[in-house]
Amino acid sequence: MKKVAQIFTLVLATILIATSISSAQSRNKVRKLEYNSSYNYEVATVAVGVDGTKLVKVWGYGKKPEDAIRNAKELAVACAIFRGFPAASNGKAAKTPAITSDSNAADKNAEFFENFFAPGGKYLQYVNLSTDAPPSGSDRVKVNKKTYKVGIVVSIAFDELRKDLEKEGIARSLDSGF
Amino acid sequence: MKKIVSLFIITIIAFSSFGQAKKPTIMVVPSDRMCISKGYSMTFDNQGTEVVLPDYKKALQTDGDLRMVISKMSGIMADRGFPLKDLEQELKGLEQEAAETSMLTSKEGSGIAESPIDILKRTAKADIIMDLDFRIERQGPKKYIVFTLNGLDAYSNKNVASAAGAGNPSSAATPEILLEEAVLSYMDEFNGRLMTYFQDMFAKGREIKIMVMMFAGDGVDFDLEEEFDYKGAYETLAVHIEDWVADNAVEHRFSLSDATENKMKFEQVRMPMTYTRNGEDRGMDARRFVGELRKMLKDEAFNGGIDCKLYMRGLGEAWLLVGEK
Repeated sequence: MKKVAQIFTLVLATILIATSISSAQSRNKVRKLEYNSSYNYEVATVAVGVDGTKLVKVWGYGKKPEDAIRNAKELAVACAIFRGFPAASNGKAAKTPAITSDSNAADKNAEFFENFFAPGGKYLQYVNLSTDAPPSGSDRVKVNKKTYKVGIVVSIAFDELRKDLEKEGIARSLDSGF
Repeated sequence: MKKIVSLFIITIIAFSSFGQAKKPTIMVVPSDRMCISKGYSMTFDNQGTEVVLPDYKKALQTDGDLRMVISKMSGIMADRGFPLKDLEQELKGLEQEAAETSMLTSKEGSGIAESPIDILKRTAKADIIMDLDFRIERQGPKKYIVFTLNGLDAYSNKNVASAAGAGNPSSAATPEILLEEAVLSYMDEFNGRLMTYFQDMFAKGREIKIMVMMFAGDGVDFDLEEEFDYKGAYETLAVHIEDWVADNAVEHRFSLSDATENKMKFEQVRMPMTYTRNGEDRGMDARRFVGELRKMLKDEAFNGGIDCKLYMRGLGEAWLLVGEK
């Protein structure tokens, strides 16, 4: 009888361990997918930027805080191009529509964006101001052993970016066709 | 090689045809509410009824904030490839034009031919009106801006783009800075909507209004309910006209909002953006589009051909006056 109870406890413990491992794996998988998703932008408009610029706070992920900052800069420019910025709270700034109105612009111009967003790529030209030193406090979160989540305030040269993408034929200009 | 050459030719043709559509003119006009509430208004006695109208000239000459906002908006729109028509300059130009027209004579002493309708049509106009309204409000010691911008199609009267909201209250910033912030904040949203409107225009045609009206002369012995046999269809003149609009509108999109024996009002008629003439693509306007309807009515089937007068009201509206020229 004692042996049966021991076997039962062992089986139960094995099931419990297996379930928790699988659940953790699945959580990690979801998190990984979220980090790599092209739709996942954590961005908020801070205020109206000076003429032709947008002042936004954006969150990035990385193994080190420096990597997360790099990721945040990339996400800020990508958000300006593909999704636009939401309105700021308390009427500080209205929402900004995306530069491209074509939802498939990224796929259609995959080669261009591959080079544009490459490490040290042209996208950096449009991030005018940023807090390069790793942020601290609530703007620097250690998500797990391997990942940092960092929030930085950047100024995006929005008009300049729009004009350059219009020249490249990726974004449609307001007067195109006339 | 042959393939590359033909691809190149197709690309050139595509780009040249895209560049042909007629560009709408845009003008910023202060809203009636803003003009009247700030005292920039004129009052008329119209047969016993008091009518209050905005006085744009007074507004532009005296309101520094308004001038600053218009100037900022003009800069942004010019940057986007749409230089705005300036209301103040337009009003000045019209005054000058009227003075010169009345003074001009030929060597024989003849003046310029001008009908009452020509004089009436001498007004400041644009295809898209940016109806601007803003006011500075207070919340204790703090000030904030309430800003409204509506893009109105002058022909369909539809609101094609808009941006509105109240700014962030501030005690430090001057009203000028708050106004500049408001313009910078809302213009991208406004232009985003304007872009959607233009894209829809290129996909489904420009929305125009067509009015068909009968002349009441003694020589006009028929109306829109008169029946004619045209291309095998024995129908009233109104039905033949409606059929023509249906056949020529992009995707047959139109709505006939009013029809009597003397008048037909077509709205939301989707006119193609371009037409081909002498092998070239040219920008289409309502006058050109309705001109083809006039040609149809000249057919022998309509009592040997009906005379019509074509009256243009702008890029997106034309009237066809049937029975005489």
